[in-house]
This record gives sequence, C-alpha cells and structure tokens, in this order.
Amino acid sequence: MADLNTIVSRSKSIVGRKTGSEYVLIPVSNNIADMESVFTINETGAFIWEQMDGKKSIEELTNLLMEEYEVDYQTALADITGFVETMRDYLVIETA
Amino acid sequence: MAKAVRFKPVRSYNLNIADYNIRVIAAEDGPDLQPSERFRGSITNHVTQDIAIKVHHGAVNVPEDAERVLVAPYLVEVKGYKVNRKDNFWSVYRHNADLYLITNFPDSPSGKRAMLKFSLIFPEWDLWIENAGASTDPLDYPLDGLVLYYLTAINSDIMIHASGVYYDTQGYLFSGTSGKGKTTLAGIWDNVGAQVIHDDRLIIRNRGGIYRMFNTPVNKGDVPRSAPLNKILIIEHGVENCTLNLRESSAITSVIANCIQHNYDPEMIARFLGSVSLLCSKIPVSRLSFKPDRSIIDYLLKNEFQQSYSEAFEGHRFYASF
Repeated sequence: MADLNTIVSRSKSIVGRKTGSEYVLIPVSNNIADMESVFTINETGAFIWEQMDGKKSIEELTNLLMEEYEVDYQTALADITGFVETMRDYLVIETA
Repeated sequence: MAKAVRFKPVRSYNLNIADYNIRVIAAEDGPDLQPSERFRGSITNHVTQDIAIKVHHGAVNVPEDAERVLVAPYLVEVKGYKVNRKDNFWSVYRHNADLYLITNFPDSPSGKRAMLKFSLIFPEWDLWIENAGASTDPLDYPLDGLVLYYLTAINSDIMIHASGVYYDTQGYLFSGTSGKGKTTLAGIWDNVGAQVIHDDRLIIRNRGGIYRMFNTPVNKGDVPRSAPLNKILIIEHGVENCTLNLRESSAITSVIANCIQHNYDPEMIARFLGSVSLLCSKIPVSRLSFKPDRSIIDYLLKNEFQQSYSEAFEGHRFYASF
C-alpha cells in the first residue's frame, strides 16, 4: 500500500479527455489503443486525476480533496488511496 | 466461389465514397485498372479529389529504419468464434511523415500483394501491386476499407460497426458487434419503407456542424447512400423494448467500443477520442434492448415524440428513461 509521501502521476500510456465533469481514459499499449479497456472516472476521480501532476504526494492530494469537497481527512484519505490503488492496478497511474 | 464481375479495364477512374473523392490512376508502368462491380455506383466524373492513388506494378521495400506501428492478424469468425487464420494480414510502417501499408488480399487467387505508400498530410499516394496481372482491382478487400479508414482519420470522421436507417426525417444508427442485431433492425425498418443506409458498416461525417451517416460499397449493386444522423442506439437483443439514455462519458465509451480504429500513436488516439466526444455531445446516445419485430419501430417512434416533448418543456437534450 502506498504511504502518504508517495508521489502519484498519470501513466504516459493513457489518452484522456474530459467530458462534462468526468473523464474518459483510453489505455495505449504498444502504440495501440485498447478500446476494450476504456475507463470513465466520475467527478471526484476527475478532480484527483487533474491534480496528479507527478509532483504531489498522496498527503497533498488528500488535503486538496478535503478543501474541494469539504470532507474530513479520513474520508478524503480513504478516497485518495482507494482511487490510487485501483487505478494503479489497471496501470492507469504510476507511483514513486 | 462465383467469379467477381468487373468493369472493362481503364487507366484511371474517380470514386465518390462517403463524400470522399478518390482518384485512381495507373502509373505509366502500372497495370490496367478494373474495379469490381460493387464500385459501379460510386464511380463519378468529379474532378475534385481528396486523394489520388497512383498504381504501379511490382514491389518496393519499406525503408530499413521504418518503424512497424500496426500489425493486423487475419481473423475470421466461425460459429461466433474469432479464428486467427494467418499472421500479418496487413501491417503499417512509419518513416518520417510517410506511412507504408503492406497487405495480402485473401480473396485473390493469384497471391496478389500490395504496398500503399501514403501520408496523413499529402494527398498523393502510391500503390505497388505484386502479381496484379495485366489488369486488377486496386482496391480489393481489405485495401478499400483501409483507404477509407485513413480518410476518416485524416478528416476526423468516424467509421463504425453499425446499421443506419432514415425514416420520416429521422436518421437512426444502430451500433453493436457481430450478432447484436444490426442487420435484423435494418430489415425490420426496410419492411416499413425506411431507407436503409447500410446494415453493417457506416462512416459518420460532421459536415458543417451537421452529422451525416454514409454507406460504403460492399456488395454488387450498392449505391451511395447517406442521411442525417439524429440518434445513436447501442443495441442488443432482449425480451422487451427498452432504452437507457447514456450520459456523455458512458455514451463515448459505448460508441468507441464499436468504432473501427487502427490508430497507432497517442496523438491519433486523442484526435479520435475528440471526434467521438464531439459526436456524443451533439447526438443523443442510448442503449437499446429490443424485440426483433415490428414493435420496436412503434416503440422508437413513440420515444421520439417524448424526446421532443422533453426538449420543448424541460430544456434537456436527454429525456427520462422508460
């Protein structure tokens, strides 16, 4: 499991596009789009996705989510770690 | 297999398919050109051209340092299962701004093989054909579909597995993979006098902000058809007629899943995603579960009325689910 200092970034193998408040993400493997593994992420996921610039840690992302959605720290941290772990499993994001 | 009917050989001809103007010219050293009968309705006298394809005899080598960006295996479907008949059906290589498409022709008894040198920027393309004989159809399967596909990529258009019908000022597109009911629905609409644009594959083009769907020549006797596109339905067989309207991101992923796409780099994929996103922001997309009988037509026509009611009185593009 990632710790609070883990830096999170979007995978370079993803092509994304914002649509309304959500994102559509297409994985690219060997230069080919994998249209059978297209993701959509909801508004909260879209906010996290936009903040993942390869410089912010999980703790920083948690604080940003707290401010944006006015939720407590534990709720925000659970959302962030849940999102990161799921997306990392699908190779949509990278952690360092 | 029945012998394909062909035209008398010529040295050049013009095609208009999905409103793309394609000029095909025999090079001085090239074979005579003998398009298949299915192209008859698409041959025109248009002088404008989107691309010109010059046809040569023989083969040339792909540059040594070209990068292979796509390999398509040859898949056939047997009893619903996809079977890989042979590798390297066609491949695409990239060298600077040039692309090289090498393909076999599975329907050719002479072992015909071709290499198309083309570009997404420049409209003059060159085609070398091995074992062409004295005359040949330069756009035999699969090259016709691939040329059209790359024209859609150049023009930010969309090629999709779908049937399309036009009825009472409304264009309906029914999209789904094999076995989902595209042909069934086209047949049901045909029986009530709708114009069937095509029952399997369509090209969608945004012409000045208006979306239209076009057929492509597949069978003998095909003539160019097109119609405005008003509604996209992602279909499946069901026990009753039912629609579920899709919000934009679900609409995009549902449409994308049925698109024909041979993109080979993130920039092309992003542009393609942009085209589908724009389409789904303009045209309502719904999932449709349907009974394969006349009741589906009444159901959809009733839906159209309720959509209009909703638009007029609630100001929403999508109406409530039923």
